[in-house]
Amino acid sequence: MTTPPPANDPAHSRPLSRWRVLGWQVAGLALLLGIWWLVTDVLKLYPTYVFPSPRAVWTEISYGLWGKGPQDGKLLWAIAGSLRRVLTGYGAAVLLGSAVGLLMGLWLPLRVTLGAYLTGLQSVPSIAFVPFAILFFGLNERAVLFVVILEGFIPVALAVSGALLNVPPALRIAGRTLGASGLGLMLRVLLPAALPNVLTGLRTAWSFAWRALVGGELLIAGSSSLGAQLEVGRNTANVALVLATILIIGVIGGLFDALLRVWESRVRRDYGLEVTQ
Amino acid sequence: MKKILFLSALTLYSIAAAQAPDTVRLGYFPNLTHAPALIGLQRGLFQKALGKTKLDARSFVSGTTLSEAFAAGQIDLAYIGPGPAISAASRGMPVQFLAGAAEAGAVLVARKDSGIKTERDLAGKIVAVPSLGNTQDISLRHLLGANGLKSKADGGAVTITPIPPADVVAAFAGKRADAALVPEPWGAALEAQGHKIIGDEKTVWRGGKYPTAIVIVNAKFAQANPALVTAFLAAHTDAVAYLNKSPAAAQAAVNTQLEKLAGTKLDPRILQRAWARTHFTAALDVAALKDYAALNVEAGYARTVPDFSLLIRR
Repeated sequence: MTTPPPANDPAHSRPLSRWRVLGWQVAGLALLLGIWWLVTDVLKLYPTYVFPSPRAVWTEISYGLWGKGPQDGKLLWAIAGSLRRVLTGYGAAVLLGSAVGLLMGLWLPLRVTLGAYLTGLQSVPSIAFVPFAILFFGLNERAVLFVVILEGFIPVALAVSGALLNVPPALRIAGRTLGASGLGLMLRVLLPAALPNVLTGLRTAWSFAWRALVGGELLIAGSSSLGAQLEVGRNTANVALVLATILIIGVIGGLFDALLRVWESRVRRDYGLEVTQ
Repeated sequence: MKKILFLSALTLYSIAAAQAPDTVRLGYFPNLTHAPALIGLQRGLFQKALGKTKLDARSFVSGTTLSEAFAAGQIDLAYIGPGPAISAASRGMPVQFLAGAAEAGAVLVARKDSGIKTERDLAGKIVAVPSLGNTQDISLRHLLGANGLKSKADGGAVTITPIPPADVVAAFAGKRADAALVPEPWGAALEAQGHKIIGDEKTVWRGGKYPTAIVIVNAKFAQANPALVTAFLAAHTDAVAYLNKSPAAAQAAVNTQLEKLAGTKLDPRILQRAWARTHFTAALDVAALKDYAALNVEAGYARTVPDFSLLIRR
């Protein structure tokens, strides 16, 4: 019998728990894939044109990402197109949302009017704006960007204004006492103090923007996009392509979210809001 | 144990269903290229042929939605374009090709103020098709290739966008599309609004000798109910014969059905013009279907051509 390393020894416990987490994650993935394989290839509970096997989906992924045929590599182009679109939209949404959020945090009349409307607007699914965007901008990329920016901007604006209001009064008073006022107070005291909550808003905004993008691309197909790949898969009865695209959408969304989460938790740790496990 | 019970219940159910289907589920679209279905319904030919078995006819907006219902086992017989039918077959759906229904009947229309005069002018423009991967989409991609053009998704300059044919009139009015490859009667309807036909049914593909609608059957249904399938096929052949023998009466009947389904009655002159560009036949043009399957691969919608000797029901 081996003795477990003492829990309060950071040199031992941290890498071990990281490996353990990774181990569980790999096991979970293997279990999911195993069930999928069992249901499709072994038990054949569903016809392949309804629920394809992991191998069929893998074939679509490999053709779509690194296939060498004349029609291969479309998923790669779709990923590039969608990422370009979402990053443009997300960037614009963060800029716009921060500006509006600042104004709302500073000025009560704006907060109680626009802030309330935005909260209501946030409950409208992004796909509901697509027909309107098409009428306004036409069947093109601008309509997609409009929906992405709208969806991404609302959580940023609400998070920024909320975070500003939640800055502890003690910090505000301390800042004033030390001579900060106006813009200086805003930039040096309030915004840094609000950063952890703003980051949470940025992460929400990312997942909203990514979802809005795929929804918009589904209805506004034309150039290379993941939404168009979903639509092509559906139209050509290629469920394996549909599942492959869903997986890719999930992986990209999750990776970006994880990246933002790392940043967020580092900031929260630095601010003393979180204790490292 | 539970599972065995469940499976045996399922088998019992399917045997019971095979012995006496009380309904036959037919899928079709409210398009002129599906006129044999419209006539068969309007004149009661299908119900007469099926006898006591009830006919449950459902209209769909595109081959995609019909194909999804077919995959879910909710459709026994269907009028559908060769595109979705071949896609379904190459994915292993239990589909058999029963007969032809309509040939040609699709035109390339340019918006009147788009400045497009020939296919070559489509560079940099937005072209609408009923849906990605459907019959018109694939013939458009072929047509573009023949004119040295490519779609934007393939690195070219032409944006191909899916718009339901009935919505193309509104899309043209809002300048959301510059041209459209649409099945009739929508081509004639656009023409009546002053838009220009730049590719007629003959220049679109194969000199007009290509199927735009065929009749398919669920292979399992056909195996269990050969008599019903034969009876339906006879009624379908009658409907096609009627369409060709008395076009005037057939046009009126088709218009009545279209009005019932789409809510709007077409101008008889539009229908007449669309009619002149569509041919109705119960024969299956296998050579054209094979060419079509090859184009499907060329467009990147499939990697293999299905084995037609197994697909066609004789």
